[in-house]
Amino acid sequence: MKIALKINTEASTFEADPDMPLLWLIRDEAKLKGTKFGCGKGICGACSVHIDGELVRSCLYPAHMAHEKAVTTIEGLSKGQDRLHFVQQAWLEVQVPQCGYCQPGFMMAAADFLKRHKNPTEEDIQNSISNICRCGTYPRIIKAILLAAQTKNHESID
Amino acid sequence: MKVSTEKPKKGFSRRKFLARSGATILGSVALLYFGRSRVRGALSNLAAGMKFDSGVTDFDPTVWFEVNADNTITLKSPKVEMGQGIFTGFAILAAEELDVDFAGIKVVHASTLSGPQSTASTGMSNSTASLYTGIREVAATLRETLKLAASKLWGVPITTLQTADGVITSGSHRATYAEIAQQTKKWKLAQTPALRPASTFKLIGKEHKRVDAEEKVLGKAVYGIDTDIPGMLYGSVLYCPYFGGEVKTADTSRASDSPGVLKIVQDKQWIGVVARTRYAAEQAVSKIEVSWAFEPNYSTRDAIEAITVGNGVAVVMQDEGDATVDSKSERMIGEYRTPLGYHASMEPSVMIADVSGETVTLYASTQNSAFMRETIAAETDFKEENIEIIPRFIGGGFGRRGYKHNGIEAVKLSKAAGKPVHLLYTRQQEFQNGHVRPNTHHIIHGQLDTNGKVSVLQHEFATGSMAFLAVPIAKTIIGADFPAAGHGARIPYTIPNKTTKIWGGDLPFQTGLWRGVGMFANTFAMESFMDEMAERAGVDPLKFRIEHCGNTELLQRRKKLLLKLGEEGGWNTPKTDSLGRGIAVCEDRGTISAALVEVQIIDKKIKVTRVVQAIDAGIIVNPNGVRQQVEGATIMAISAAIYEEATIENSQFVQTNFVDYQVATLRDTPQIEVIIQGSLELPSGVGEPPISPVAPAIANAIYNLSGIRLRSLPLQAALEAHYRDSEK
Ligand code: FES
Ligand code: FES
Repeated sequence: MKIALKINTEASTFEADPDMPLLWLIRDEAKLKGTKFGCGKGICGACSVHIDGELVRSCLYPAHMAHEKAVTTIEGLSKGQDRLHFVQQAWLEVQVPQCGYCQPGFMMAAADFLKRHKNPTEEDIQNSISNICRCGTYPRIIKAILLAAQTKNHESID
Repeated sequence: MKVSTEKPKKGFSRRKFLARSGATILGSVALLYFGRSRVRGALSNLAAGMKFDSGVTDFDPTVWFEVNADNTITLKSPKVEMGQGIFTGFAILAAEELDVDFAGIKVVHASTLSGPQSTASTGMSNSTASLYTGIREVAATLRETLKLAASKLWGVPITTLQTADGVITSGSHRATYAEIAQQTKKWKLAQTPALRPASTFKLIGKEHKRVDAEEKVLGKAVYGIDTDIPGMLYGSVLYCPYFGGEVKTADTSRASDSPGVLKIVQDKQWIGVVARTRYAAEQAVSKIEVSWAFEPNYSTRDAIEAITVGNGVAVVMQDEGDATVDSKSERMIGEYRTPLGYHASMEPSVMIADVSGETVTLYASTQNSAFMRETIAAETDFKEENIEIIPRFIGGGFGRRGYKHNGIEAVKLSKAAGKPVHLLYTRQQEFQNGHVRPNTHHIIHGQLDTNGKVSVLQHEFATGSMAFLAVPIAKTIIGADFPAAGHGARIPYTIPNKTTKIWGGDLPFQTGLWRGVGMFANTFAMESFMDEMAERAGVDPLKFRIEHCGNTELLQRRKKLLLKLGEEGGWNTPKTDSLGRGIAVCEDRGTISAALVEVQIIDKKIKVTRVVQAIDAGIIVNPNGVRQQVEGATIMAISAAIYEEATIENSQFVQTNFVDYQVATLRDTPQIEVIIQGSLELPSGVGEPPISPVAPAIANAIYNLSGIRLRSLPLQAALEAHYRDSEK
């Protein structure tokens, strides 16, 4: 079927099997490789994207459901070319990534989390984000989210 | 085997160096073959403690570097970046001698056709340790070679030249490295100069951001899985989930009719589909009807039995004094087990093969390009010189990427389809068809003398193969896998009578190296038992360890680190009754690593609340990088210590995804503090050592909290078994 959707700023149409996971459409058809595959079962969060502003694990999301929706991937998280999203900025500041493979998913989850939590505690973070990082960057992820929350509150950016 | 002074690797005597290392290998194999068990024992000690060679023999700067037109310098890394920060470390080392801005060094992976080659895999925490001198030398040689060219161009003596910020000057002459490179037609390589002394270091030892952080934060870093080449198709392979199974009967007719399918390849142990999209290939695979021929009914219990002290081949690794247990004092016995475990790297194994005529290009997530190339040559019709392996960033290694994975299948599928083929393991395949950490069994006997000191200690340890898969002949000759599995088995403490014996058992599935290799299991057993003996002696566990650190250099470093950890980590500070505190330490190829852990048990669940890690790894190239590795190892250790266990039913692994293979998440994150003990020793590894003391420190803390001694991993399961038993 023809699937028309907006990915980041670009409106595109793809011919794809309606039941194909959106993840493969994003990676293999739209050629945006920042969104990763980790488990294929909605557990690890490596494939996290935003669809119409909602956090979604794209490995379990059939492509046809994204028809006429707006998808944001890690490549589109920062709106401008010259500026990082405040979550990415915090990630860089805290030097979170090791292998880095899980990080796009974590940043997408963190950006979504911070929309709902203005002044999160460490516990809020630990209880809300269930993504997996095998390199064990969790201590820095918590630090980066706390830092991002502060920046956001101070600068009221989105 | 300790190297504490830097020996320059003279010039580029590649051939001489190669010949020399070849002779050593042959020599030791011959010795092993003809030697008696004593010789085997002596060699095991050597191998278990040895610092591994980098496997890099070519230190010609023109092979390592490219000077780019914008005056940046490309460094081709013979080691793979899998999160350990090696690109950053290498850039720092090179920039120190090159007199360029650290950010102006672009590190890329060497392929097997371009750049320096490494015959050794990336692992054993040896990349920085083994190339610390080599990279600075090759960078210094490049600097001197550029100066030599400039002095020729300008007709001035080389001694008048200065270098700074990528620019060479002499009097009124001034040119960037790039300008010199562009104007030089014929290069004359300079002699390798003396290296700059540590006292003048401008970059080494300072805090640096990772060179790959920005691309990883932007989602632009290219991993194996991200390889996308024109005309590329997608493969999906049906593997036998049963150990050693083969295809008995297969009906692929429905799969061939499935939309988008272009080719089906049937092999002895697998059936592969090539299709236009991954989804189409996976759909087709699900339509294959297959029956497998395999040996049924193997279970976890069989693996435990195979890996039991007394079964298989034994190697004596240590035999000092007279360890026959003296009947006067009471003998203590501790029996410990660790389970089978997965690496569970987030990026499953992935290979993209592009076969065209006689040549193969393989884009690979591999820790071992040289081995990958040899394996493809051995198992297909392609000649080694026609195979190029192009490594990419790896989404987590931990030892998982040292094997052939799906490389052969990718090559066969690409050959059949006549197009490049992208082949990715599913998570289930990654778990069921990968390599697992072998289970272990330990029996330790100990006796105390009248002063409460250990007079006798005997460690017997059994496990499967870790390093032998790459060199199967070694198993035949040597027996038990002492270089890898025996790593950490020896008793390091000053004890008059001590023996270590390791047993190699056979397992019917693929086992392999896992972060920390043998050290992880051995430290769990040994450092748990040290606590049991401290308790019996009535001595504080930290003090007890220190009392057994004699006068060797490594033990003195161990003592110093333990004291520092106790002091800064608050070993003696007051605590509440709901908190348990434990400590453990290990020495791993020259690095000392110690952990102080605090735990709670809440609703019968183990919760690690605080970990203080102390590490002494010689000269630190990048403290930020070391802290990252220590933090990461701590989390992975908590995960493996408390939760992880792979089990077997009817000759297949039961756990197929993260639903039934629980790993640590954000919720398991304790407060982590890292103490770095600086030293002027040459750098030793940091990626693996800190993983080993955590599990015993948790077990010791649980004992401190509850009086419950858990002697098997994973600890949560062991605790639950304890509660069940005590309710009976
Ligand atoms: S790949 Fe989608 S949640 Fe793991
Ligand atoms: S950084 Fe490697 S999995 Fe998270």
